[in-house]
Amino acid sequence: MALDRIAGEHSLLFIRSEQLFDLARSNSLFYLSYGIACCAIEGLMSAGGPRFDYDRFGIFHRGSPRQTDVMIVAGTVNKKMAPVLRRLYDQMPEPKWVIAMGACASSGGPFREYPNVVLGVDQIVPVDIWVPGCPPRPESMQFAFMELQKKIRDKTRERLDARADAR
Amino acid sequence: MPVQTPADALRAAGIACEPSDETLGAVVRLEAARIADALEALYAEGYDFLVDLFATDTGERLELTWHVRAFERHEDLYLKATVDYDGEAPSVWSIHPAALYPEREAAELLGMRFPGHPNPKRLLTVDGTEPLLRRSVLLRTAEEARLS
Amino acid sequence: MSAPAPIHREGMHQPVAVPCGLRCIPRGVDELATEHLVLNMGPQHPSTHGVLHVLVELDGEEVIAAEASLGYLHRGIEKLAESRRYHQVATLLDRADYISGLHTETAFALAVERLAGIEVPRKASYLRTLMMELNRYASHLVWLGTFGLDAGAMAPFLYIMRDREMLLDIIEAVTGSRMMFNYSRPGGVVADLPAGTEGKIREWLAHADGWLDENDALLGGNEIFRLRMKGTGVIDRTTALAFGMTGGCLRASGVDYDVRRDVPYCVYPELDFEVPLGSTGDNWDRYVVRVGEMRQCLRLIRQLLDGMPEGDHGSKMSRMLKPPAGEAYAAVESPRGELGIHLVSDGGLTPYRMRLRSPAYFNLAVVDEALAGGLLADAIVTLGSLDIVLGEIDR
Repeated sequence: MALDRIAGEHSLLFIRSEQLFDLARSNSLFYLSYGIACCAIEGLMSAGGPRFDYDRFGIFHRGSPRQTDVMIVAGTVNKKMAPVLRRLYDQMPEPKWVIAMGACASSGGPFREYPNVVLGVDQIVPVDIWVPGCPPRPESMQFAFMELQKKIRDKTRERLDARADAR
Repeated sequence: MPVQTPADALRAAGIACEPSDETLGAVVRLEAARIADALEALYAEGYDFLVDLFATDTGERLELTWHVRAFERHEDLYLKATVDYDGEAPSVWSIHPAALYPEREAAELLGMRFPGHPNPKRLLTVDGTEPLLRRSVLLRTAEEARLS
Repeated sequence: MSAPAPIHREGMHQPVAVPCGLRCIPRGVDELATEHLVLNMGPQHPSTHGVLHVLVELDGEEVIAAEASLGYLHRGIEKLAESRRYHQVATLLDRADYISGLHTETAFALAVERLAGIEVPRKASYLRTLMMELNRYASHLVWLGTFGLDAGAMAPFLYIMRDREMLLDIIEAVTGSRMMFNYSRPGGVVADLPAGTEGKIREWLAHADGWLDENDALLGGNEIFRLRMKGTGVIDRTTALAFGMTGGCLRASGVDYDVRRDVPYCVYPELDFEVPLGSTGDNWDRYVVRVGEMRQCLRLIRQLLDGMPEGDHGSKMSRMLKPPAGEAYAAVESPRGELGIHLVSDGGLTPYRMRLRSPAYFNLAVVDEALAGGLLADAIVTLGSLDIVLGEIDR
């Protein structure tokens, strides 16, 4: 939507600042390179590769949690990994979102019967998008990001209320 | 070409053993306490490569398997010994450094000890985890694994 | 606030009164003390190839000692296999070595067939071998790309991802999935090649040589890459054998051992291929050996397509298999090395104990020897050159 078509020349646009920032954030999501297991090959490497291409959405990977908006939990989380996951989540600056990729991150997956496995990563961090699949196809991950973008743009009010409640 | 079978070499070194030929291959059963001496004697016979080391819970005892190979001859040999639960078998790391990780893993997942190991820490699980590969430790049931 | 107490320094026998309320007498720093820093590399790190956690003790930039801390992906594949029927175990094994699942599946199938005395149709063996070689190429492509990333080169990674997509299309057409194939089962394989697959593979082969040359020139032809790799991460022959290393890492150290040639399985006895060998065991040799293996893969795939027989692919395999009680071991040459499955059966529908002899597990044990004495930057490329997959290390 070209800006000069929604508003003529010399017009004034009024938009809430947080909505404008969320519009910008949704188009520039940086995710943490945190490939725990098999899902990393599909959802982080293949989906970022030339055929599926995350970069056209503005999505890019960063090495340090301090520089990311999204954490894609791609793989099974077990009791040894859980504190590390929480620490990485805490290191990310606000606002931040979590995508639980695959069956393992959503609910334990094919390994849910093993006592060492955590049944879903939402027991450790708050999750925004769950993606089914084992592993989800790269197209599923792109759809997940599109849903996340919608959530970021449309739920600005809810996010600010939640932040105010948390304070 | 070897002049004696592995069992002969072990008996010559004073280690009592029982060889048998099974679907698995050439298997020799011996006392767990003598395994370090046995592997040293076999090293001299050309069995210089440790392929694998693991333990199985038979239900009454733990059965350890050392899978060695005479690398040049491509001959495999399986040494088996049983220990009690929470028992011990000497560490063979000084003969085969390849045993360093598998011994730590067998110790923590099946609950036993390898005295002589230079770094007897847990390898795969956090402190306080029970020996997960024992038959007595059950997998989660469908009810427990369901999200509530 | 009272004046701070005077500070005792070594060599001083009596406390000296400090004037003007200073903290201490301003003698300056008279000795430069250094201490070793213990650094956590991972488990989250852009280049730990999965959730590998390596503790390195550093003296400045030089690595004094290294220790790998494993278990961040320990999911109980061995224990879960005890509650799956033999036909279902392939679903777990795909997820062990997730980059080359077919090799693990085939090793398990071979172990079960050895134990139960099952004859596999010739066509099924051919199909297994073809898919394993395609899988090996795909796995080495991932290694090549991530190895470049470790060294700081981002372009080869995106090129190999492009090459890999065409290969994954072919694998998906045959097995039904890009990654978790569930294709090779005890008794044969699940499906035959669909019509047109041979044409697609030949079309891919026509491009693959050129693309491999391109990627090799991008990385191996780069002077900086060569200088970084030559002479670093040296693992000599004795160390490699002592630690139970196998695969490309062992061959780079000068030991000529390849399970496909020395303990052959499937249709490898009928195929003609070379086994690239290194000499010094440094990172450059491991690079050259693996790129050589990729070229041999292409050669093998051509032979397999030319010699593909007609026949049954395993449609009569039993889904309620009950092998007799006993044990069996079968090994395949996975892209990482000798991947063995040791199967213990008690005559029931599920395995009693399944042990996965993971090549990357033993390749990784050498990390202390290989990293110590080098720089931290070399440590990262050495870890990349070992080609590890944490799924099979932690199981």
